Amino acid sequence: MSNKAYEIIPFGDSGFLVKFPVETYSEQVTRHIHGVINALKNQPNWEELVPGYNSLLAYFCPDNFPPSKALSALHTALKSTSTSKPVKQRLVEIPVCYGGEFGPDIDVIADSSGLNAEDITKIHSEPAYTVCMMGFIPGFTFLSEAPKILHHARKTTPRGSVPAGSVGIAGWQTGIYGLESPGGWQIIGRTPLKIFDPARKAPFLLEAGDQVKFVPISARDFETAK
Amino acid sequence: MIEIRQPGTRVTIQDAGRPGLRHLGIPKSGAADKLSFALANYMVGNPWNTPALECVLGGQHFKFHADMIVAIAGAEMWAQVNGQNVENFSSFKVREGDILTFSFARIGCRAYLALPGGVDGSEFMGSVSTYLQAGLGGLEGRALQARDKVGSPDVTTQPRTIPHGYKPLISNHVVLRALEGPEFSELTLDSQRHLFVNPYRATKNTNRMGARLKGNLVKPKVERNMISSPLLPGTLQCPPDGQPILAMADGHCTGGYFRGLQVIRADLWQMGQIKPGTRISFRRSIGDDAFEVLARRNAFYGILMDGFSF
Repeated sequence: MSNKAYEIIPFGDSGFLVKFPVETYSEQVTRHIHGVINALKNQPNWEELVPGYNSLLAYFCPDNFPPSKALSALHTALKSTSTSKPVKQRLVEIPVCYGGEFGPDIDVIADSSGLNAEDITKIHSEPAYTVCMMGFIPGFTFLSEAPKILHHARKTTPRGSVPAGSVGIAGWQTGIYGLESPGGWQIIGRTPLKIFDPARKAPFLLEAGDQVKFVPISARDFETAK
Repeated sequence: MIEIRQPGTRVTIQDAGRPGLRHLGIPKSGAADKLSFALANYMVGNPWNTPALECVLGGQHFKFHADMIVAIAGAEMWAQVNGQNVENFSSFKVREGDILTFSFARIGCRAYLALPGGVDGSEFMGSVSTYLQAGLGGLEGRALQARDKVGSPDVTTQPRTIPHGYKPLISNHVVLRALEGPEFSELTLDSQRHLFVNPYRATKNTNRMGARLKGNLVKPKVERNMISSPLLPGTLQCPPDGQPILAMADGHCTGGYFRGLQVIRADLWQMGQIKPGTRISFRRSIGDDAFEVLARRNAFYGILMDGFSF
C-alpha cells in the first residue's frame, strides 16, 4: 500500500471503505477511526458506520445523499479528526475469573509463554484496552493488542460452543464473547457480566472507543456476581 | 389472529429490519426479499414496512381466526385456501376457520404473507424482525412453531392490486449486478473473469446468513491473512478453499476473507429468493450506473409505496 495515511475506496454503490495501511493494532489508527465515526454519527444519511481494526465502513442512504456528497463529508471528517488524543475517556471495569473451568486454555498460553496462570492473570489484566470493533456476532468485543508474551494462534479446531462472557486470545488480539457461539479463540477466563443482554434497558455494556480494564476475581465472586 | 398449523421449513416474523447497529455486531435482518415483502403489505393496504410472515421453501399451513383480507407475494409455492388455488402476488378474502397452505417453493425461496395492520412481535431496537442467532425480535426471538398464535391488530384497510409493471420476476436463476469488492484486484485474473462470466450454484449451506456457492474456484493471487474488516449484505466473501460465500440479511458484520464482489443495492432483494440449487450469475456494474439504477428504481417504487427504498 502507499505511504498515505489512508485510502478511500467504494464499497458497493452506497458505501465507502476507508483503509489504513497498518497490518496490526495501531492506537493512532483506532483513534482516527473512532474520531471520524463520532464526527459523522450525528449527521443524517449515514445508515451504518462500522469500525474495523484498520478500516472503516461508511454506508449511506443515497436517496438524498449522492455518493459525491457522501465522499466529501467523509473526506472532511477524516481531515478534521485529531489522532493525537483519545475521543472517549469512558473506562469500564470488567470482572474476570481467570483459569480453571472458566479459562480452559490458560495452560496453552502458559506452555507457550513459560508463565504460570497467576502471571498470565496479572499481565493480561494490567493494561487498559481499547474496544476497537464489535461483531462478528452481537456483542463480540474486539480489543486492542494483548501484551506480546501472551500472543497465541487460534485453536486449530474451533470449539463447538464457547460460553458467553469468555475472554480469549487469538494471535495478537484479545476479546470477549458477547454471546455463546462456536469459536477458535484461546479462552483464558470469563466475566459474569452480560456484555450483550437484549432484555436490559441498555443492551450493550460496551461500544467501540471505550476503554476496558479487566479485574481478576475468584470463582466464588464469579458465582455471586452472576 | 392467525394460527400456525404447520411451520413448514421455517416461518419467521420480519419487517424492514434494524439498520444502524452493525458497529455493535447486529445485522439489519428484516425481510430477505424486501420487494416482495413490501408488495405483500401494499396489497393489504399497509405501509410497506409493516411486520409480515416470511415463509421459507413451503410446507406451511395457517388457520385464520377472523375474517380478513390477506396477501401473498414472493416465491411461487402453489398457495391454496381450503384446497382452492390462489394466485401469487394477489390479495384475497379469507374467513374465520379457513386454512391457507403453501406447498413447495417451485420458483424462488421465500413467500410473504401480509395481514391488515401486520402481525405482533416483540420489538428490539425499533424492529420486530426475528434474528435467530441472537434470539431477537419475532415471537420470543424464535421461528414460529405449530400451535403458535400470532396476533394481528383489528384494523380495516383497503386492499389493492399491484399495477402493471410492478410485479417482480422471481426466478431460479438469479442475476445480480455487482461492483468489484475491496479485494477484487487481489484475486487471480482467472477468478476475476469467472466471477462475471460463469454462473454459480447455491449449495445446501444457504440460509438468511449467507449462501455458500459452488462453481469455478475463486483464488487469491497471493494468500495473506487479512485483519477482520466490515461486511455488508451482498458482499461476496472468498475464503481460501475457493468457494465463495454470499452474505445475506443476517450475515456477520465483520469478516476476515477477501471481499470479491459487492451486489448493488437495487438487486439485494433478489438474494432473498436464493435457495439451495439456485443458479446465480454476477453481472458487472459500474459505480455511476449502479447509483443511477438505484435512483430510478427507488423513484419507480416510491410512487407506489411511500418511503420505500431498496
